Amino acid sequence: MTISQTRNVGLPLMKLVRWKGVPILQQLHLEEQLLRTSSENWCIINDGANDPTIVMGISGFIFTSYEVGLVPRNYIVGLDGLIHTNRKPAQLLKLDSVLNDRIPVIRRYTGGGTVVVDCGTVFVTFICNKDAVPGLQPYPQPIMSWSSLLYALVFRGFGDFSLRENDYAFGNHKFGGNAQSITKNRWIHHTSFLWDYEARNMAYLKLPARAPEYRVARDHLEFICRMKDYMPRSVFVDRTIKAVETHFSVRPVELEAMETNLNSKFPHSTKLLTEQELEAAAFESHFEKALSHSL
Amino acid sequence: MISRGIWQQKCRNAIRRWLRSCAAQTSPLSPSPVVSLGNSSYIGFCSQPIVSRYAMASFSMVNDKLMDLNIPYSIKRSCFSSHALLDLPASGIVSIPLAQTGEGIAECELLKWFVKEGDQVEEFQPLCEVQSDKATIEITSRYKGTVSQIIYVPGDIVKVGESLLKMVVEESQGSNLTSNAPDDMKSMGAEVCDSSIQSSDLRHSNTGGVLATPAVRNLAKQYGVDINHILGTGQDGRVLKEDVLTHAVQKGLCKEPSSLSVNSVEHFQGEEKYSHTLAADGWQYEDKTVPIRGFQRAMIKSMTLAAKIPHFHYVEEINCDALVKLKASFQEENRDPEVKHTFLPFMIKTLSMALSKYPLLNSCFNEELQEITVKGSHNIGIAMATPHGLVVPNIKRVQLLSILEITKELARLQQLALANNLCPEDISGGTITLSNIGAIGGKFGSPLLNSPEVSIIAIGRLQKVPQFVDDENVYPASIMTVNIGADHRVLDGATVARFCNEWKLYIEKPEQLMLHMK
Repeated sequence: MTISQTRNVGLPLMKLVRWKGVPILQQLHLEEQLLRTSSENWCIINDGANDPTIVMGISGFIFTSYEVGLVPRNYIVGLDGLIHTNRKPAQLLKLDSVLNDRIPVIRRYTGGGTVVVDCGTVFVTFICNKDAVPGLQPYPQPIMSWSSLLYALVFRGFGDFSLRENDYAFGNHKFGGNAQSITKNRWIHHTSFLWDYEARNMAYLKLPARAPEYRVARDHLEFICRMKDYMPRSVFVDRTIKAVETHFSVRPVELEAMETNLNSKFPHSTKLLTEQELEAAAFESHFEKALSHSL
Repeated sequence: MISRGIWQQKCRNAIRRWLRSCAAQTSPLSPSPVVSLGNSSYIGFCSQPIVSRYAMASFSMVNDKLMDLNIPYSIKRSCFSSHALLDLPASGIVSIPLAQTGEGIAECELLKWFVKEGDQVEEFQPLCEVQSDKATIEITSRYKGTVSQIIYVPGDIVKVGESLLKMVVEESQGSNLTSNAPDDMKSMGAEVCDSSIQSSDLRHSNTGGVLATPAVRNLAKQYGVDINHILGTGQDGRVLKEDVLTHAVQKGLCKEPSSLSVNSVEHFQGEEKYSHTLAADGWQYEDKTVPIRGFQRAMIKSMTLAAKIPHFHYVEEINCDALVKLKASFQEENRDPEVKHTFLPFMIKTLSMALSKYPLLNSCFNEELQEITVKGSHNIGIAMATPHGLVVPNIKRVQLLSILEITKELARLQQLALANNLCPEDISGGTITLSNIGAIGGKFGSPLLNSPEVSIIAIGRLQKVPQFVDDENVYPASIMTVNIGADHRVLDGATVARFCNEWKLYIEKPEQLMLHMK
């Protein structure tokens, strides 16, 4: 056995999936399925999505109450008598441009913010059992901290890397956004890294009302940066895998082999929003006015 | 729950080692703040170490049965657990609040429920999913029981500490937190710090000897009783809330409440109500902060807008004798079982006729541009009180509809409203609103405008009152009072008065409608 192999003995197993240019919707579907149906640890690295896509976190969307498997509706009459449309897209996206340019909008199954992804985005996802990392508690902060320790290894020597609130940043500039989902026995932490981006894609996003402090009062393009200015792409992926190997015994798997194991009837929460939903969201401000009333 | 697996093995071993070294001591341990867990990697990850209320209360080990130890862990008060914090119940109904899920996180959005009222729930079964900042988190049940009441709906923002739901748990579980020796780590690892419990409570719990939760200790403090002097009736001599109350009553510190299990059975059906028993007994008056959700939020917003508009109100009485006769004759001739005739469609139609003559009442005022848009369509909104709340769908282009068509459309909208199925089309684009408050009661209301509309009409209840006729005889008449609220920037009293006269004419003399029939 080589030295690195001996080191691996005793570490939990983690299966590694390496993709290139897989559409983000497919990736999110697979992730959710693995989170909820697999009992193994996974690391998914997707080097670039394909076409520009907007991916929104799950909160702020209206669903029916207790049904397992979300059934989103465009509008419901809430307990307050108001029609609730999915107003989140209107708040966070410049819907007119999005509709005009026919940019797909996906609601993903994890929380967190909105990003626009394209071929310049690199995705890294960890799906772990709750005791996969010894001593790590399955709560948002510890998981975030743990991930930042791992990436600190990756970026050592390449830039002033730090975890700023929930973002990965070089100095003051964000280059990676995070989101998580924590279930009873497992957790998932995924990151979209801005290898490169186009300013016009960023223009589809409005700034969220609640922003981390280090980003306050700065325009989008002012607080993000491109990873490619710091390190080569392949180097990033390789170093990430090496960093993962310090915690896990990594075994690469091919996508095809995995797909056959997956249950195709899995009810996904990740969903592509339809054009009608987006258009309805664009009208939502009228509803609020029409319904405010008092006897 | 979730933390159990992580803590269980390592903690138990570490504790055992540590305790054995203290085995010689018989008195409760001094409150040393930090327990070394023998594995430095813990400290690195556990940036918010756990403080356990229940571990402080009681803790029996496999080896050392019934050894009561107060073992305070670590320093920081904040900790997290996706377990529900438990109020020790006396009668089996517990409120499950949202436990703290991370330092500094004060509230979460409820995403979805996995259970509904009436469902049987197992221990550690997922109850719901919440979202805080970047993470969605499953909240699992601390206990086995039945869901009795769901308090929040998806989309609601829940503050940490607020009750998510109520559950009926089995009695034996409720007062027995350290049921099985091997399961002790549950209580230690999974416990929650209520954000209201500051570090001062640690001091209280460290007095040693008496087992009680901080909530009970607080209560004792409120009454000024020394908790150590209270005889505990709970498991392992634990002091329960009832014990404190009984003691306080005995000491004459408070009047005896009629029901000791007051706290756990709350008649809490909404933000507005207080516990009846508390008020009646008078031994606990507390201010209650009501979170602003849904209905209130919307009302606050819309009424703030309405407050900016200079309203005036015009009141008039309308004799509805002819209308009553008309409705009766419609109903008599009605062959369609689906259709039920009421007063409202006729009033809507006549309103539209009057609007044709006074179109200014059917307009919208744009404050920024300082212009009035006289709307072409009479989209008359009808306020409806449904079980889900207040909705105002509108009937489009009433001027083009017959009374029968209006009746059918109204029924359609009412059905949809009751079923919570109105679509955006139905509730947008209204140009004037009719509020039939009389359906519920009252002589008349003074309605506030539905911006950007410029007039709103509230209709009171039809009442039989005596009226004089010309020959000075008295006869009974069905009188309805209406109150028209109007935007004084657009309309003046004279216009509204004339409009109302016109409308009144049509209602009192329906045959006039035929004159204008096309």
